[in-house]
Amino acid sequence: MTRWPLLLFLPLTVFAQDDVWDDDAWEEDWDEEQQGIIWSGFVEAGLGTRFSEDELIDTRNTLEEVRWRFETEWQPGNVTVGLKADVDYDGIESDWDADVRDLSAGFTPGDNIDVKIGRQVQTWGTGDLVFLNDLFPKDFVSFFAGRDDEYLKAPGNAIRVTRFSPLVNVDFVWTPIFESDVYLTGERFSFYSPLAGMQVAPRPPFSAEEPEKSFSNGEFALRLFRTVESTEFAFYAYRGFSKQPPFVAMNAYGASIRRPAGPGLLNAETSYYTSQGDNDQLRFLVGYEWEARPNFSVGLQYYLESTSDEDRHLLTNRLTYRAGRDKHTFSLFTFYSPSDNDYYLRPVYTYRHSDQWSLAFGANLFGGNEPDTFFNQLDDASNAYARVRFHY
Amino acid sequence: MLGRFVFAALALNFAAFAHAQTLSDANDIIARADLAAYYAGADGRSEVRMIISDAQGREQRRQFTVLRRDVADGGDQQFLVVFSQPSDVRNTAFLVNKHIDRDDDRWLYLPGLDLVKRISAGDKRTSFVGAHYFYEDVSGRRPADDTHELVETTDAFYVLKHVPIDPQSVEFSSYVTWIDRETFLPMKIDYTNAAGNLYRRVEVFTIEEFGGHPTVTSSRVSDILTGGKTDMQFRYIKYDVDLPDSVFTERSLRTPPRDWLKRPAE
Repeated sequence: MTRWPLLLFLPLTVFAQDDVWDDDAWEEDWDEEQQGIIWSGFVEAGLGTRFSEDELIDTRNTLEEVRWRFETEWQPGNVTVGLKADVDYDGIESDWDADVRDLSAGFTPGDNIDVKIGRQVQTWGTGDLVFLNDLFPKDFVSFFAGRDDEYLKAPGNAIRVTRFSPLVNVDFVWTPIFESDVYLTGERFSFYSPLAGMQVAPRPPFSAEEPEKSFSNGEFALRLFRTVESTEFAFYAYRGFSKQPPFVAMNAYGASIRRPAGPGLLNAETSYYTSQGDNDQLRFLVGYEWEARPNFSVGLQYYLESTSDEDRHLLTNRLTYRAGRDKHTFSLFTFYSPSDNDYYLRPVYTYRHSDQWSLAFGANLFGGNEPDTFFNQLDDASNAYARVRFHY
Repeated sequence: MLGRFVFAALALNFAAFAHAQTLSDANDIIARADLAAYYAGADGRSEVRMIISDAQGREQRRQFTVLRRDVADGGDQQFLVVFSQPSDVRNTAFLVNKHIDRDDDRWLYLPGLDLVKRISAGDKRTSFVGAHYFYEDVSGRRPADDTHELVETTDAFYVLKHVPIDPQSVEFSSYVTWIDRETFLPMKIDYTNAAGNLYRRVEVFTIEEFGGHPTVTSSRVSDILTGGKTDMQFRYIKYDVDLPDSVFTERSLRTPPRDWLKRPAE
């Protein structure tokens, strides 16, 4: 704890740089194009706590951290080198942590080819907080703990090659060493163990054996995409492992479409997961999003996970209301599964006070009937959080 | 040499004729104004700064570069907007495929999530990145979305009144535009709400010429009811830079086209 203030002062060295906005004589003064390396980022403090104790977890808090983000970009020749990293002190783990979200080199070896090598966050597919063909790593612990949505997407070390052509664009991502999701280990949240038949929070935290770190266990992800008129088409393929324990070798093949329909946007996506044994799964998603009133938008999704023994149905709803020119954003995301009879609500209010200061208040509310369903296993993790962020 | 002189003289005469002519058809005037405001050159680039002030005088700022390409003059267009300031929106990018015969296609790229987010068609008269400008103001409102009436012709302006064809889709019940008779640029726009009150005003303060095209370089949107305003400045404007079609694709959202975004030599 005593080390926090030090962390808070570190970025001051960065604030000391000339602020390009600080000229009062704006009318006369149009700044020079920024040269050299620019540092930016934020400092954020976050605190989240459970509504009630989880008797399996020592601490009631779900979020207790101060985080310093620094970002920069550098262009030696035709290469763009990007860096985006966090240093944080996590009070729950009582530990300092450094997390590089992006350290990559991007270049264009041919007119129609982009290459990005290194650590990077990647996203594709049409779902809103529901993922079918996006098998890039995700951090569900951050998501449930109340960190910014950005942290749901975990970085991976990969080579991405994209070739653009009028016929079809091809996106190819090779992740040489398998990157798993950040899954529930019992450290911050307890979870239901089908093996033990009960809720657990093992000490030391659960750690599943990952696929051996070899190139032969690397992940390949492919996307073919094209926009025709206003309709986006994409086809996907993946070879790797399920992203959560027990990390079964799997392939996935899928397709998606997204297009305007009526006043809003319609999307549909499907994916077929195939793995050894009899564990094939069909995933299907259809969604619609529209602005129901000025500044008030509604998104609805139906999502299906179908295996030979059972179907899991999920309905989601996103309501977003923005006021005061986006100064205030009220958002409620609801997951509800009629088949599991459980739910997960994510209300968030964000307040953008200025270009520097912003606040977020939110909650993660889980519930249901059965102890072993996906969302209801987290009912003791239901929490409310607050975050304050200073951008520099 | 002689041929060139004759051509120049003809062009001058034509210009003089155009200026002398008084238009009387509201649709002709709005078509000319749309071309002048949104279709200068075959393509263009500009850097933009905004100061957003609320009623208490608190300021926020935005800086971005806009690239534009016309598919056809007065027809479909493509826009790419890439933000450089403030730091929480740096590298956020906005792509518009503007269509005359159907709704525009719009995408927003959020670099933190590597997310290409599509924006629904209805969501156009809402704040553009916190400013008093709307998303629709970036690429321009289609003339066909309103009916136009010439209410007055003064020495300097054509004064037109516009009524939306689909009143449910917009927050105004009508607006009045003062169009400069010489440049055809709209110099002032007043919006009236359903209660009959003036609530929004767009004003142009400065016009400069680039590549022969009179161009707005300073303007303001005021929220008359709450007292907030957004001042906008445009610099490093250049037309006919031969922007290729390929700049206006998903590629540029993830990988901003540095060569085209770079500030041109004066």
